[in-house]
Amino acid sequence: MPPAPAAEPTDTDDVRAAAAGDRQAFHRLYRLHVDRVYGAVYRLAGFDHARAEDLTQDAFVRAWQKLSGFRHESSFGTWLYRLAVNVALMDIRARGADPVSMMAEDDLPDRGETPFCAAEREELERAIGKLPPRARAVLVLHDIEGWRHEEIGVELGMAVGSSKAQLHRARGLLRKVLGESA
Amino acid sequence: MNEFEWLRQTRALREPVSPRRDLWTAIDASLDGAASTTPAPRRSTAQRVQGWVLAASFAGLSLFAGSLAVHLRDRPLATASASVTPDLERWRPSDPRLAGAAVEFDAASMELRQAMEQAPHSPALQRLLYRMQKQQSQLRQLEHQAG
Repeated sequence: MPPAPAAEPTDTDDVRAAAAGDRQAFHRLYRLHVDRVYGAVYRLAGFDHARAEDLTQDAFVRAWQKLSGFRHESSFGTWLYRLAVNVALMDIRARGADPVSMMAEDDLPDRGETPFCAAEREELERAIGKLPPRARAVLVLHDIEGWRHEEIGVELGMAVGSSKAQLHRARGLLRKVLGESA
Repeated sequence: MNEFEWLRQTRALREPVSPRRDLWTAIDASLDGAASTTPAPRRSTAQRVQGWVLAASFAGLSLFAGSLAVHLRDRPLATASASVTPDLERWRPSDPRLAGAAVEFDAASMELRQAMEQAPHSPALQRLLYRMQKQQSQLRQLEHQAG
């Protein structure tokens, strides 16, 4: 499982109330968790606010619909985070093929050609945003969100080896983008 | 840059981000069309299987009693038996999940009563009556457990 946040507030009562149809309780849950959900979706959407807003809305609506199925086996925050990531990944899948897997190895720069230490945070975000969607998804889930390749493979429907290869290529592409912008 | 340094930089991006605007208004409006389904109380697998087995046995009992009634229809009329207790027919479970079984039970009871009018001392009918009472008792226990 992805690493849980350091300290999640207790929201069990609100979760139960919302599952019974209490809209105010769900609003409280929204306020409590929206920043974490939005952050993950925003990164997966390539740091695109407009898309991240649509996906976040979709994630919360789906959470409302599926709350009755939440069995409290994990924290609500983790469940919601996972659901939101799935919404973002479904959006990526719906947007078509994987350009990374079709890219030739020759197109990629050598590892370490462009050092990242010079990149500012904003520049790094912009570079990640320029990655092809599935390559970005692998890189964001592994390098930023801290998922394991096994989990990424399950969510994106690929073998563990493919996930590792995608990550290697995504990092190479990122270095290339950063090198060009520098 | 080594792997550790790279991950140190990228993991720094993993932090909550506030949306540029409040999304709740749009979400709230969408919830009107997206009804949240309140779950029914969950029964254990054993209880569900038991319920189905009981319902199936009532259906079988009903069919058997019906065919027996047809078989005995032309026999000379005997005195009606009072062994089918009125209590059997009055049972109405409050749990809707058992209501279907109760309907089957009523039908079986009626068929059995007609059959016993034809053959009040039939050992087969007596056994059926005993099984029906036993099954009703089990159903009532289930109803009691379901609260």
